[in-house]
Amino acid sequence: MRVVIAEDAALFRAGLVRLLEDEGHTVCAAVADGDALLAEVAAHRPDVVVADIRMPPGYTDEGLRAALELRRTHPGTAVLMLSQYIETRYAAELLHGSAAGVGYLLKDRVADVTEFTEAVVRVAAGGTALDREVVSQLLTASRHAGDLDPLTPRERDVLALMAEGRSNAGIAAALVLTLGTVEKHVASIFAKLGLPACQTDNRRVLAVLRYLGDG
Amino acid sequence: MSVTGLAATAARAPFTGRARREVLFCVLALPLSLPLPFLGFIGTISLAAGNSSWRVVLVAVAVAALVMVLLVATGAARSLAGACRTLAGSLLGEQVAAPPPRAGARLTDGPGWRAMAYLMLRLPTGLLEGYAVAVFWLAGLVNLTYPFWWLSFRNHSPGVQLSPVVVITPFDWLGGHFQVTTFPGTFAACGAGVGMLLAAPWVTRTVVAADRWLIRGLLGPGRMAQRLRDLEQTRALAVDDAAARLRRLERDLHDGAQIGLATLAMNLGMARKKLGDHGDEVPDLAAARELVGAALQGAKDALGELRELARGIHPPVLDRGLTDALASLAATSAIPAELTVSVPVRPTPAIETIAYFCAAELLANAAKHSAANTITIKVTERAGYLALEVTDDGRGGADPSGGSGLAGLAQRVAVVDGRLDIASPAGGPTRITVELPLRAG
Repeated sequence: MRVVIAEDAALFRAGLVRLLEDEGHTVCAAVADGDALLAEVAAHRPDVVVADIRMPPGYTDEGLRAALELRRTHPGTAVLMLSQYIETRYAAELLHGSAAGVGYLLKDRVADVTEFTEAVVRVAAGGTALDREVVSQLLTASRHAGDLDPLTPRERDVLALMAEGRSNAGIAAALVLTLGTVEKHVASIFAKLGLPACQTDNRRVLAVLRYLGDG
Repeated sequence: MSVTGLAATAARAPFTGRARREVLFCVLALPLSLPLPFLGFIGTISLAAGNSSWRVVLVAVAVAALVMVLLVATGAARSLAGACRTLAGSLLGEQVAAPPPRAGARLTDGPGWRAMAYLMLRLPTGLLEGYAVAVFWLAGLVNLTYPFWWLSFRNHSPGVQLSPVVVITPFDWLGGHFQVTTFPGTFAACGAGVGMLLAAPWVTRTVVAADRWLIRGLLGPGRMAQRLRDLEQTRALAVDDAAARLRRLERDLHDGAQIGLATLAMNLGMARKKLGDHGDEVPDLAAARELVGAALQGAKDALGELRELARGIHPPVLDRGLTDALASLAATSAIPAELTVSVPVRPTPAIETIAYFCAAELLANAAKHSAANTITIKVTERAGYLALEVTDDGRGGADPSGGSGLAGLAQRVAVVDGRLDIASPAGGPTRITVELPLRAG
C-alpha cells in the first residue's frame, strides 16, 4: 500500500512514517502542509493519504480542505484525516456524498498500532473509519431524539461499530461474539430502524450515518 | 529665535494656512452667532414699540427661555452646536468627541443644554470673531488700496481743497477718526493697513482660542460620558485580551504538550508491538528499547512544556507576595537585575499579578532589544498607587508603536486605571514606569 502523509508536527510525522513502514507499507512522501500534499498526491498517486486537519499557514482546517479537493480531483485516492479534536461538522463535510475511502480519527488512536493500521488499510480499500468519538456524538443526538429506543443495549453497541465503518468480522472481534450472532444483530437493527438491507460495508455505513442524521 | 527670525515669522503669519483656516472658521461660524433666544428677546421688546416697562422685559425673558427649551427639546441645539464642532474639527484641528446620543427625557438632556449654553456664548465670541475679520483683515486690505483710489477718483487741480477721507482703524471706537486729505496722506493709510494685516492673524488666533476653549468645555461628551467611554474602551480591550490569551493557550497546548503526548503514545504503541504480544519471545528488542527511550524523552518534554504553560497562567510564587515573585523573576533574568521593593500595604492579588507580568514582559523586552548590562527594578508606593520602575542602561529608543509589546502592556494596565510611562531617548537609558492602583476596581 502506498501512502502520502501530511502532518506539521515533525516528531509525530516521523513516528507515522516509521509506524507505517514497519507495517510493510510504502510512504511515498511526508509533508507539512496542504499545498505540498496536493502536489505530492499528483506526483505519486498513492492509495491513501493520511493527513492532519489543522496545518500551516492558517492553522485552521487546511488539511480538511486539501482532502476535500483530493476527493474531487483524485477519487481513487482514499483520505484518512487525523486530528487532536473531533468536530462532527468536519465529519459531515468529509462524508458528504459518499463514505467510500474516507476516515476521520483522533490522533490518540495511533497508539493502538494494529487497530490504526487496520483502519488505514480499510480506508485505502474503499472502506470507512470513523472515530468512536464522532459516532458517540451522533448516537447521543439520536438517543435524545428517541430514535434508538427500539434497540437493545447490545444492538446499540453493534450499531456504533457499524457506524465506525467496521465489517461484521471486525465487529465480532471487537465485541467477542461469533460472526453469526453479529449478523443476527445487524439484521435485527435494520428491521427495527426500517433501513434497507445493504450488501457492501460502506453503503451500510452511509445508511447508518444517514439514519443518525449525518453524512 | 533671533530678531530677524521673529520678523520673518511676523511677516509670514498673515499668509499661513493656519491664518486662512481661522479666518474661514470665523466667517462660516458667524451665522451661528445670533442665537434664536436672543432674537426672541429683542423681537418681543421691539414689538412692544419702545414701551420698555418691566413687564415687557419679563415677557421677553420668558420668550427667550421658551425658545431655549424648544431648541433643546427638538435637538436643534445639539445639531447647531454639532455644526460648530464639525467646523472646528475640520478647520481648526480641534478634535472633540461628540457627546453620546440623548438617553433620558428631552428636557434633561445635559449635552443639549451645554450645547445651548455654547450657542448663547457664541454671541460675544462670534461677534468678536466677526469684528477681527472685518476690522483687521477686510479694513486692513481696503486701507492698502487708498493710494490707488486717490489717483483714480481725486484727480484734482493743484490748490483745490478736498474734503477729508475717513480711514477705518481698530481704534475708531475710541473716538476721533483717522482722516487723510492729501495724496501722500494715503500712504499713511496704506501703512496703517499693513500694520493691521500684520496684527490680524494674532488677533484672530486669540479670539478663536477663546472659542476653542468653549468648544472643548461645552461640546465634548462631558466628564462622566468621557469616563464611560474610557471604561467601555478598556473593557473591550480586556475582553479581547482575555479571548486572545485563551486562543494562545489552546494553540500552545495543541502544538505543544498535546501533540507531544500523542507522539509519546504512538512510540509506546510501536514499542509494545516490538516487544511481542505474549511469552518471553521479543521480536525486536533493540527497536523496542529505542522507542521506549523516545517515549521517555517525549514524556519529559511534555512535562516541561506543561510546567511552563502553568507558570505562564499563574506563577505559584505569586501566592507568597509580589516581593518574592519579583525576586525570583530578577534571579532568572537574562540581564543581571537589581531589585528594591518598599510597599507597606499589600496590593490586591489582581494588581500583584498585573505588576508581575508587566515586570516579566519588561525584563524580556530589555533582554531582547536593549543590549543593557544591568537592570534595576524599583517598586514603591505613591499616594495609593503601586509604582513599578524598570530601568536599564541599554541603547534606548523603546517605542510603543514598534511592536515591542509595550502597547499591549499599556492596554492591560489601562484596564485597572493604571498608567505606563516610557522614557527612552535614543542612546539610553530606558526607564519604564508602570503605575497601578493598589486595589483593582
